[in-house]
Amino acid sequence: MSADQQTSIPDLPEALASANLGERSVSLNIDAELYPLQAVYGAAYIFIDRCYVFVDRPEAGKFRVTLAAKEGVEEVEALRSLVGEFANELISCAWRHQVTQDNRVAVETVTVQAIAGAMGEPSLDDLADFDFTDEALDDPLGIAQSWEEKHGRKEPKAEADAEAEGGASA
Amino acid sequence: MKPISLVQIKPKAGTQAFFRWRQIGDDAILVTNLEGNWLILTEDEFTAYARGEVAPDSDLHGRLDEKNFLRASYDVQAASERVKARRYFVHGGPLLHVMVVTLRCNETCVYCHASRANMDAVHTDMTPEIARKAVDVALSSTNGFVTIEFQGGEPLVNFPVVKEIIEYATERNKEIKKRLEFTMVSNFALLTEEKLQYLLDNKVQLCTSIDGPEEVHNAQRKLPQTHNAYQAAARWIKRVNEAYIERGLDPSLYHVEALLTTTKKTLDYHEEVVDTYVKLGCNTIFLRPIDPFGFAERARLRLEYPRSKYLEFYRKSVDYMIELNKQGVQILERYAAIFLTKILRGEDPNFLDNRNPAGAGIGQIAYSYDGNIYSCDEGRMLAATGDETFKIGTVDSAYRQVVGHETVRAMAIATNLDQQPDCVNCAYNPYCGTNAAYNYKAQGSIFGRMRDNNVCAVHKGIQDYLFEKLAENDPETMQIFERWTTIRPREHFVQDPTQSED
Amino acid sequence: MSADATKELRFPREVYAGTAVDEAVKVWGKFADFELSETEDHWVVKVTPKHEGAARQIIGEFGNYVLGLTVDRGGVDGGEA
Ligand code: SF4
Ligand code: SF4
Repeated sequence: MSADQQTSIPDLPEALASANLGERSVSLNIDAELYPLQAVYGAAYIFIDRCYVFVDRPEAGKFRVTLAAKEGVEEVEALRSLVGEFANELISCAWRHQVTQDNRVAVETVTVQAIAGAMGEPSLDDLADFDFTDEALDDPLGIAQSWEEKHGRKEPKAEADAEAEGGASA
Repeated sequence: MKPISLVQIKPKAGTQAFFRWRQIGDDAILVTNLEGNWLILTEDEFTAYARGEVAPDSDLHGRLDEKNFLRASYDVQAASERVKARRYFVHGGPLLHVMVVTLRCNETCVYCHASRANMDAVHTDMTPEIARKAVDVALSSTNGFVTIEFQGGEPLVNFPVVKEIIEYATERNKEIKKRLEFTMVSNFALLTEEKLQYLLDNKVQLCTSIDGPEEVHNAQRKLPQTHNAYQAAARWIKRVNEAYIERGLDPSLYHVEALLTTTKKTLDYHEEVVDTYVKLGCNTIFLRPIDPFGFAERARLRLEYPRSKYLEFYRKSVDYMIELNKQGVQILERYAAIFLTKILRGEDPNFLDNRNPAGAGIGQIAYSYDGNIYSCDEGRMLAATGDETFKIGTVDSAYRQVVGHETVRAMAIATNLDQQPDCVNCAYNPYCGTNAAYNYKAQGSIFGRMRDNNVCAVHKGIQDYLFEKLAENDPETMQIFERWTTIRPREHFVQDPTQSED
Repeated sequence: MSADATKELRFPREVYAGTAVDEAVKVWGKFADFELSETEDHWVVKVTPKHEGAARQIIGEFGNYVLGLTVDRGGVDGGEA
């Protein structure tokens, strides 16, 4: 993108966020110390239905996220609200990431107790029934090869019919 | 709704147990935890919780602690018990066995294309031999409960095979001793008194389709001879309900229920739809949005609508139903009942399209007239359009091969909400589900993408509505919701394996 | 197709999974021509959309697709946190 169209966004320091009206896009610089990549992924993912999202590493310790509006956003004000929303999502994701980390052991314990408990011990019949020639032995969940690879992932359509129904407001 | 700003709240991790949140009103934030407990907090309360600044002797602290939202006092044992109760079905095995006994149908419905054939297409009748093999597979299920659902086409068109299945299954079940049930989804137009008596003798639960008031129904569901599909269905609903009474069954429990398919046309008629159901003596409406499986692409524009329009319709309809309930009318909405059972009771009603993981292959199996077996009825409909992706065997396959099919495994993984990028963070995760065949058809991947997924939009919208109501906490509405989650078992429909039919 | 519509995207390796880039290129081959190369820090993809009118959309959706696949896989190393 060309630097001459770069505009700063009112109320936000230029070092943090800047807009490019020609490209209908806005970029934010993010401190990687404060916001782990997982949080950046999480926030970026939330915008991919509305924006074209690109994540860059301008320098060590920084991410730069560029959000280019898919349609209709022309105003600095509208871009500014995108930045605000993104900042909110980023904090939310970073927080969620931390909450998940903090509670990882508890979550795993609960899940294992609940699911394994329901399964009970395998019986002799189960063992006798077990098909030892099954490929499942090497790959119990069948995930070594992607199922969709094997069966052919369908191609997305070029035109925007994914948006045609657009009801999935968050 | 004015969104709360985390930039201002400045949350700090450390004190919270694993939880998720969603703003549901101006001053109402829903928090849910791993095991599906929930609380609705004000913005101030949420802020205190988010910052880890809840005073230990406060009322809020007590509520958070009681529902297991605090890390310091997190009760792992209680949480495991609750998760176990919610997920009891994961080891069950298929209980719903959909048998498409023919594709032939006397009706022509605007949204039904892949699922029907003309009345002369006799090659789409299931043969008695295939039928018996299908029953063998179904009765091999590891699940102690087996429900055989007759579908079509119109199952009454191939009534001899319906009978074959009933009689063969009941006979075999004398040894196998499952809790066996039969249900039939029929437009009723070909029902006769004799067939009805047979179905009642054999305790077959009957279900039909009503798309709303007569005018809407007949515009969507066309019967060539009389042109009045509505009257045909209505007449038989009345007759079947009478017959239940003749047999001494409690009419509040035993009556015909009907299914609705919401099309663009339905959206303008929320009151009329509800009134029609009440008039016909149905206690349940299932406000199902149209799905993309049945119809040809060209019918799409006429029938489809944005999901936001559907959700408006849903809200108006259920608001109206709640009003009616307040006046003493018994009518419930099925989606609401399913979600509320999970939300209020911490139980799972095991509705196969809305559980985690979903039921395809591990909770249900669909048997096509030609002996092919699919992971679900949607998979069978896709096959009718030439896409065999969800075929998992034939009636000649061994049971273990069918349920152990790699497609079944892939679908179970894909519908595990704990690996879906959006669902992992969604407050509705403990109560929700996704549909792999839908995701595949609409979005090209069994995993789907919840951001613009219609099933997600519907589930999210309905739960938003329900939690708004729970936040309002109107005592009368709460009572009605309680009632909607009270399941009275219909024991009459369970076959008694010790008794031979006569 | 004129070279004007060609755009070079530089996906940082620390952020984007290489397998996601490869897979996205396969899927989007119908809508654009791709030229792949790599540097120590980046996957470099030159995209030339086949429909000039939809160039912004094709390039943008392609980028989203790579990001989406990367996130679906749990990130660059697949699965960390
Ligand atoms: S929906 Fe049922 S009744 Fe209508 S055409 Fe299809 S099979 Fe026949
Ligand atoms: S499907 Fe949608 S509503 Fe349900 S848990 Fe996932 S994101 Fe939430």
